[in-house]
Parts: sequence; structure tokens; C-alpha cells
Amino acid sequence: MPDLEDRIKESQRMGIQITKESEDDRLMTLSVGPQHPGSGHFRFVVKLDGDYIVHCDPDPGYVHRGEEKMCEYRNFIQNIPHLERPVIHDSTNITYSYSLAVEELTGIQVPRRGQFIRAIASELNRQIYTLYWLAIYGIFLGHSTMFMWPTGDRELFIDLMEALTGARVTHAFNIPGGVRNDIPNGFKDRCLRQISYYEKRLKEYEDIFYNNPLVRQRTEGVGILTKEDAIGLGVTGSVLRASGVPYDIRKAEPYDIYNEIDFKVQYMQTGDSFARAYVPFLDMRESCHIVRQLLDKMPESGEVRAKLQANPRGPPGEAYRRVESGRGALGYYIISDGSPKPYRVKISVGSFRNMLALPHLLVGAKMGDMPVIYWALNYWPVEADR
Amino acid sequence: MPPKSNAPKTTAAGFIKAIESGSKHLLIKRFTLRYPEQKLKFVGDGYQFDPKRAVGIAGLRGRHILNHDKCTGCQLCAITCEGIAEAIGMVKVDEQWKHNKKGIMPQIDYGKCVFCGLCVDACPFYALFMTNDYELAAYTKEHLIYTPAQLAIKPKYNGDVEIKIDDHGATHHA
Repeated sequence: MPDLEDRIKESQRMGIQITKESEDDRLMTLSVGPQHPGSGHFRFVVKLDGDYIVHCDPDPGYVHRGEEKMCEYRNFIQNIPHLERPVIHDSTNITYSYSLAVEELTGIQVPRRGQFIRAIASELNRQIYTLYWLAIYGIFLGHSTMFMWPTGDRELFIDLMEALTGARVTHAFNIPGGVRNDIPNGFKDRCLRQISYYEKRLKEYEDIFYNNPLVRQRTEGVGILTKEDAIGLGVTGSVLRASGVPYDIRKAEPYDIYNEIDFKVQYMQTGDSFARAYVPFLDMRESCHIVRQLLDKMPESGEVRAKLQANPRGPPGEAYRRVESGRGALGYYIISDGSPKPYRVKISVGSFRNMLALPHLLVGAKMGDMPVIYWALNYWPVEADR
Repeated sequence: MPPKSNAPKTTAAGFIKAIESGSKHLLIKRFTLRYPEQKLKFVGDGYQFDPKRAVGIAGLRGRHILNHDKCTGCQLCAITCEGIAEAIGMVKVDEQWKHNKKGIMPQIDYGKCVFCGLCVDACPFYALFMTNDYELAAYTKEHLIYTPAQLAIKPKYNGDVEIKIDDHGATHHA
């Protein structure tokens, strides 16, 4: 918490006079959350001077579940269902990097067709997550059509994932050694038809939401995060790319077959809330191209899963692997002592690092801009608390 | 000076475009599924696993089905579930089987099951599969516990509605 001197300086920057004596009377302390409206299992205490936020104190930890400790009592396969609980909407990506790290530890080779199916599931899941995020961003701005449309289109993707994995939300699909099952009959056609329909819908999203002058006025120039600050604060994912840094794990350190896929890293220059909301949208569009290429290049037949021993284990050692999730870099650091259970698992999530930018952006902003800034950070409280 | 935005420019015509793209949908058929009357058709008869090839067969992960004439009471499903949901317990059955000397078979508590299907992956004897039945609501917690006899019954699921996606939109067809 910055001391009084800093707060006084901060207020003077905005042209408001504050003295030590009057400070306590003038400022109003407001707790946003931890109930759902506007924050979702997460609280931040803001100090308001009139309509301006002069101090913000994030208070995460309401949904801490001890995922990392739970990993130490289960073997490598049993860990999968509980590890996807932090982000059930992005459950394929959160188990993806775990599987990659375990494969590095145990030396399992994933068959080529398995790698393709994994990437397809990961890209489809990215759409599901981003649509959910976009729906909530829409309702935060009071745009209820933007809540209904992505929620409806997300349902189609959920049906697609249900056909592929057998579950609607928590797929438990990625497993060390590949994926659980092969693609069902007719999946490829259905997926291509849906992608082409969905690309049309994305144009409508752009018309009704992103190119809507009202949304632009609400979001443009709000909560600007400069390139230097973005790098200094260590933010990741769409927040980093919105500030003009074209950094994507899929390009920077390609995993599985991503080095064979041709795609552009989508980024914006301005670093305001609009850019942070627009980059995930551009990612969705790029993701459609990626799914098309993956379906095209996928081998017609072959193994999808390496044969594992009953309790996969590797020599003592450590591994760190990360993937690009819907919220940025998602890494797993696993230490193994040679037993079937991991000795230590550390989950490095994008949400937590993006949250560090919140006090930086909120100080000096108006209270009315709080939802616009907060949800554009692509912050998922349950994932940050682990 | 702030960096220039590379987003598409928008003008007052953006209002008209936004209203137009929204009002178009007054004429398009909605694709909401009227659930209890209409039910979706699924791929296959539920998630299954082939232990010989060590790969699953795509399908919905719903309620389990237990083949009594194949279950040997090896407890591998229960051991797998121990670290996941602790939903599977081994119970004594009255019948006598040559391949199941101990006479124990899994009993599944659907109040705890997370439908991950890893118990199906663990079964080496083609005894435990999953089905398309997902309507498991019950009035008491005890009714959610399915005994081996209940698990042997094949569920009747008659979902026949398919989603049809074309250039005009998505609709449901029986």
C-alpha cells in the first residue's frame, strides 16, 4: 500500500488538493466484491476521491483450492480431472501444458495424429473461453445483445466439443501421451461448416459491438497501459499484445505441431481497454484459420495416444512447459523424485500476472470506468487463486 | 502522443450498421433447443475404451454401464477413482461367477462422480463403459448411489434432434 505522501502526489496529478488532515474525511473506501457483480470471487478495495480512484488494493484468494498441493497426492493421470477445475471454460488448455510437462519428464512421445487432435481441441476451447469472456464484457458495458450472441454461439462449440471429447465443459481430454479418443465420424465436416458459419457471425459481432461508436467512446483511451509498463509489469496474453508487443507462446516457443502452422500474431498498438477487448476477437478470427489448417494437414489415420504403463513415472528431474491459453502464458513447473506422483507442481497462470496491472490502471481512472478496465484484463479469479 | 490505433475507423454510420445487423435477426429462426420435448442426438452409444489398442471410442460420458459377465472384481476402477472423486466402491453381489471369485463389483455414487471416464480407461476387461444417459436427478442422496444391478441395465435414451448449420444460421432438425 503506498503511503500518504504518494496518495497526495497522485491526487495532485489530477488537480485535486488533498492535505493530511482532510484526507481521511475526503476519501471514501469502497469494497468491490467478493460477491459476483463486477468482480466474481475477487475483491479489490478502492479509495475514491469524488469520482476518481486514488488507490486500489486487490485482495485475491477467495477461491484458493490448493491445487498445487493436491497434485502431490495423486499420480500423473489422476491429476487431470482436478487440474481443469480452475478454468472450466478453458479446460483443454490448462491440461495441455501439464501433459507437455509430464511428457518431458517421463519421455513419452506423442503420435503425430494425437498432436493434431490436441491442437484442434485447444483452438476450439480457446473459442469457447473467449466467447464466454466476450459475453461478460458485453454485459459489463450494458450491451445485452453482446451477452446473448456469444453465449448462443458458444453453445454450438460446446456441442462440437461434446462430440469430440464426450463432455460439455470439463473435457479431461488431454492426457500425458496424447488424447483420450480419436475424432468421431463426420466431425471434420461438421467442424468446417461451423467455422464458416462462425466467421460470418464474427463480422456481425464487429458491426454490433466493436465498430459501434458507443462502445468505442466507452472503451477507447480508457486505462492506457504503455508498452514499457506492460513489459515491466510482466503481463501476458492479450493484455501484452494490446500494448504493442507481438508475443504469443505459439510463435515464441512452438509446442507440438504449431511450428508447422502458418498464422499471424495479432496485436494492437494503443494499449487501451478497446485494444485489450479487440485482441481476443482478432485471436478468435485467427484461430478459425488455424483450425482449418489443422483439419487439412491432419494425417488420415494413425495412433492418437501413446501406450502408457499403468503408473507413468520418469527419472528424478524437473520440467517446465507452457502454452498460450485464452488468458496468456500458462505454465507448469513439475519436479519429480522418480515416484509415480509429482514431488512439487507449480502452476504459473496468466490471470495472476494480468491482475498485477489492475492497481496500475485503476489509479487515476473514474469509478464508472472500473468494469471496462477490470474485465478487459482477461482476469479469471479462480485461475489466479488456484 | 499516444500511438495510432490499427483498429478499423468508425463513424456515425456505425450506429446504423449496428442496428441493421441486430434487426436482421428478427427474421432468422432461433436455435434454442426446447429441452424436455426435444433431445440432442449424440455420436455413438457413449464413451468406450479399447484396452488392447489403449485408446478410447468417442461418445458422451454419461451414466456407466457394467457388464456382469465380464467384471472380475479387480478393483482397478475403484483404485483410479480414489484420487479423483472417490465415487466407486466395491460391494458384494449375490450372484456367483467363475471369473469373479470374490463376488465384488463396483457401485457408483453419482453424487460424487465427475464423469471424467478414467475408470473406463482403467478397466482391462471391457466390463465398464459409459452411456448416453445424463438425466440422473433424484429426490434423495441415496437414490444417486447405483448398485451393480442398476448399473447393468441399458438406459433408454431417444434423442433424435440434430443441429443443422448452414450459411443462413443454425437450426434444429428432428
